[in-house]
Parts: sequence; structure tokens; C-alpha cells
Amino acid sequence: MPPLLAVRGLQTQFLTRGGVVRAVDEVSWDVREGETVALVGESGCGKSVSALSIMRLVAEPAGRIVGGQILFKGRDLLTLTEEEMRQVRGREIAMIFQEPMTSLNPVLTIGRQLTEGLEVHLGMTPGQARDRAVELLGLVGVPDPGRRLAQYPHQFSGGMRQRMMIAMALACRPALILADEPTTALDVTIQAQILELMKNLSREFGVAMMMITHNLGVVARYADRVNVMYAGRIIEQGTARELYANPRHPYTLGLLHSVPRLDEPRRARLDPIEGQPPDLTRLPRGCAFAPRCAFRVERCGEEIPPLRQLDDEGRVSACWEAEHLPGGGPRSPVATASAGRR
Amino acid sequence: MSAEALLQVRDLVKHFDVGGGLFGARGTVRAVDGVSFEIPRGETLGLVGESGCGKTTTGRCILQLERPTGGSIAFEGEELTALSDNELRRVRRQMQVIFQDPYSSLNPRMSIGQIIEEPLFVHGIVKGGAERAARVRRLLEQVGLLPQHGRRYPHQLSGGQRQRVGIARALAMEPSLVVCDEPVSALDVSIQAQIINLLEDLQSELGLTYLFVAHDLSVVRHISDRVAVMYLGKIVEITDRKVLYDEPLHPYTKALLSAVPIPDPEIEAHRERIVLSGEVPSPLQPPSGCVFHPRCPIAVARCSQEIPTLREIKTAHWAACHLAS
Repeated sequence: MPPLLAVRGLQTQFLTRGGVVRAVDEVSWDVREGETVALVGESGCGKSVSALSIMRLVAEPAGRIVGGQILFKGRDLLTLTEEEMRQVRGREIAMIFQEPMTSLNPVLTIGRQLTEGLEVHLGMTPGQARDRAVELLGLVGVPDPGRRLAQYPHQFSGGMRQRMMIAMALACRPALILADEPTTALDVTIQAQILELMKNLSREFGVAMMMITHNLGVVARYADRVNVMYAGRIIEQGTARELYANPRHPYTLGLLHSVPRLDEPRRARLDPIEGQPPDLTRLPRGCAFAPRCAFRVERCGEEIPPLRQLDDEGRVSACWEAEHLPGGGPRSPVATASAGRR
Repeated sequence: MSAEALLQVRDLVKHFDVGGGLFGARGTVRAVDGVSFEIPRGETLGLVGESGCGKTTTGRCILQLERPTGGSIAFEGEELTALSDNELRRVRRQMQVIFQDPYSSLNPRMSIGQIIEEPLFVHGIVKGGAERAARVRRLLEQVGLLPQHGRRYPHQLSGGQRQRVGIARALAMEPSLVVCDEPVSALDVSIQAQIINLLEDLQSELGLTYLFVAHDLSVVRHISDRVAVMYLGKIVEITDRKVLYDEPLHPYTKALLSAVPIPDPEIEAHRERIVLSGEVPSPLQPPSGCVFHPRCPIAVARCSQEIPTLREIKTAHWAACHLAS
């Protein structure tokens, strides 16, 4: 069975004063029916632009999708007309943003914003749409939904706004939800509420989810499979379990090492990834991570390592040295010692 | 007061009057509502809590950037709340701050060198130009930057480098206390560890005392000697780092710790979470009794009637909960 969404060789570029930024550079990944896939990486790695590209919401003319395919249910979204694309957005693929306040209309009531999609996409009457809106708000845990419909976004707290965004995303029963840092702006206890809610609802309705985040803990808890991005490229793919237990790219290894963990004894010192994230207008020759990499060999500075399959279990890494990285989990003493010495 | 405490905060209260305009009624935000702690010289106190719990306001009151509504703040034995603005200038040299967003706290029109040397000018710490240049070079080096970074402008640096500049500027005054207000939460994961290591190195090198305000419990555990947990303007639990994380007493602390996902799918698959219901109430109208009771999974009738005091439940382990024992 073909995946629900198959991104193939996607290339999105931005024209800036500093030159052409290859924000997404020949990126390929899949989302299957009903699964949760994470796109992890740090700011500027291209993860949000990937999501916007799928929705064809990259801000033109500075930004442009210059290559690749986005196959959703077998159709290439990049070949659709704007009118056809409008039928996909919100109806078949929905999006949840980090900051709900900036993606909600401040002068429309919550009710109006929820019912609009239902009337436009599903052809409901205002009465039907209202009933459905009440039901949706109840589903996402907004207390007293009937009264809340008449309120405006500013009368909602951050957590309630994000619940409202989830309700909007679910409104037309999409097959896929793209969630871009859905809980980053929220407090820890509210973050837990929202993530549990998203997990339960995606299971209940069989919605597939693409979760874009920088939080390795969130990925570990909620994702089935993981794509790690660095400087516009995917540098490692795998199931969450495999990838965390046995990272096959030095960047993934470094990320997992650098965060303090509550479940482990406190370490005397953290092991950061040295150096700075790359400037996308001036990427080095060869592997973009090489200048910060503890396992660098000569070849890394010359040739960009392709994403390649390492084993039969679907482990994929873009590192020349993937087979020679220290194994046995991110916290093995071997890994720490060699990373420090090189 | 213990002899070695550099900073001692007693019953600190900060209320803000709000409203009274066209919209809404007048009211009082009880941002900080009776907070007490002390920080021994050379130690780090972590102050954790969610947005609006009053942790940042507590830091600002200590720096006297906000004048407290009540309570006392003693720094090296000197009562700050009684000082005039002029007298405060002298004390402020010894109390510096590092902000969350290094970008908005650096003047975009000044070079990095100028940003770092400005406080040296203002307080007349070093006289000659050559001495000042040498001082700036030394500070850049101390925070892991190169001399040529001094000629650059904030927009030419990465987030991590900008935070290093913020740290250098704070160190320029040779402070004894540094209030670190969410110093790494705006930084990328791979950079956070660099800055945390730097803060720790500087502490042991220069004997600094930190008040580390943050919402990330894993980071706070790493850097703190003692930790205070705040909720709605009050400290609900305070003790040594290890004790707080190993044997938390307050139900809010327990829920906070449980809400942090562990970056390991194997562990997360079997981990039970305490997910709190509801949201943090408005500090305009804090709940009666224990401010946490509406969300508390173990609350009893008494909790909505009687305000629990912060009491020493075990040796050097304080919690404000009727049910803790």
C-alpha cells in the first residue's frame, strides 16, 4: 500500500540579500495512514518550511518550491491548481501552528472560525455547523462549549486556544494533520494536556500526524518514526525506538547527548555539540555538519554524504562514517569518551 | 540570618494594580505573594515554575528593577528596599542579570565591543582606552568568543554567541550575584549545553552566585544546588536539588516532574504521567486556601479553606501542603 503522503526530492528555496537559501534541499519522507511521524531539528533547519511546502503556503516570491513531488493519496500536490489546493487545505490536510494567537482571526468569534470550514468544505447549514462546532469544542476539552462559541480568541487562554486550533484541524476529518511545534509556546503542565489530547484524538479518528518539533522528549513519547533534519536536509531516519537506542548520525548522537535527562543521575558536565549552526547562505563544501562533527574524516569536507539505507530495518543515515559510530545507545561510555577525544 | 548567605529574601510581596480603564474592573495582580529564600555565596538557587508564577518578577525585585510592595531583600547584609536610587547604583554593580532573549537585550547599533565596555564607562570602572580594550578582550575570551567578535554587530552573531555577549556584559561589572532569567530557553538544543557549561565554569572560576530562573526542570536540575518551585506567586516547595528531584513532596512538583517527557521511547512507553486538569488560575483572583487546590489530584476539603504554610517537613525540606508528611 502506498504511503498516505510521500515527499520526494522536495526543494524549497528562498532568495535573500545574502544569496539563495536552500531551506529544504532534496528532502524525501513518508507518512503512512494513521501513524505519527516526527520532523526534528533546530531553528532554521527547514522543518517548518517543509510543512508549509506541503500546504503550498511558502511565501512567494521570495520563497519558491523548485523541485520534487508531494504525493498525497497518489496525487502530486505541486501540480494542482490553486482552486484544487484549496480543497485539500483544511479538508484533507490540516495544520496546527505553534502560536495559535497569530493564526486565529482576532475579530471573529471562535464559533465563526470553527463553522467557516464546515460550511465551505462540507456544505453544512449554519445550524448543522454550529452543532458540530459545539461537539468539536467538547471533544477537545473546552468546558462549556456552547457559551465559548460566542467568545473571541483573546478571551481564551493559551492552552484553550491550542485546543481550539485542534478542534479546527479536526473539523473536516482530515487524513493528515501537520503540527508545527504545537506545544512549544505552552507551559509544561498544559503541554502535557495538549499532547495527550492530540495522541488520543489521532488514535480515535485514525488521523496521521506529522509532528514538527525540536523537543527530543516529545518525539520520544509520541512519534512512531523520526526524521532528523540539519541545514535543509534529512540526515537520519528510523523508528523512534531504533533511532534513540542507536543513533547512526553524529548530529543525532550529539543532540541526545547534550540534553540533561531527569531519569539519569546528574552528570558533572554536559556534552554539547561544539560550534554554531551553519549559515544556510554559506554552507561548507561536503557535509554541512562536518565543521562541528567529532567523527569527521577527510571525505566529509569534500563530498556531501547521501542518505543511504544501513540495514534491513529501515535505518537511514547521511553520514560516511555511519557504520563506525560508537553503538550501544547514546549514553554508552564508549560514545562519550571518543566524542570527547577526537 | 546565616552568616554565609549572600542574598536573603524575606516575605517578598509584589502586587501590580491593573485595569480601571474602559475595559474591565480595577484589580490587583498578586505576582509575588510572600516569598522567602536565601542563597549562600557561590551557590545556585533554581527558581522554577510556569509562566505567570512570579519567578521573573521575583528576580526583578531582587535587582530592584521593580520596587517590592513588601518584604525585605538583604544583599551582603544590606537592606536593598530601603536604599535610594542613587545608593542602588553602587549595589547594582554587584548584581547583574542575563536575559532570555539575547537579541532584544543587545543594542543593534552598537558593536559587541561597545556593548561590553559600556557598563565600564557608565560606572567608571576602568579609565584609559588601552585598559578598557584589554578588559574587553579578556571578557570575550572568558565567554569563549574571539577578539575579532568585538568589532561585529549583534545581527552578525548566532543566538548562542549573542548569549555569550550578554554574559560578558554582565561579567564586566565583576558582580557577585547574577540573576539568570531563562538564559537558555531561547537557544537551540545543541547550543544550550554550551551555555550551561560556560555558566558553570564561570561560577567556579569567579565564585559567582546565581539565581537561575527557568521553566525547564532538566536544566534546573543540572545547574542548581537548591531548587524552589513557585506556583501563583508562592513558593510551594524548596530544598536541595537531589532531594527535590528524588523525593518531591508537593503534588505540584510531582506533576511538573511527571510532565517532562524523557528522550527515550522505551521509557516513555511504560511511563505513567500525572496530567493535571485545568489551567493556572488568574493571579487577579487566586483561589481560596491553597492556590493549587483546584488542580490538585489529592486535594481535600481543608485545602480550599486554609492556606498551607511553607513548613519544614523533613530536615531542610520545606513544602506548602497540608497533606505532605
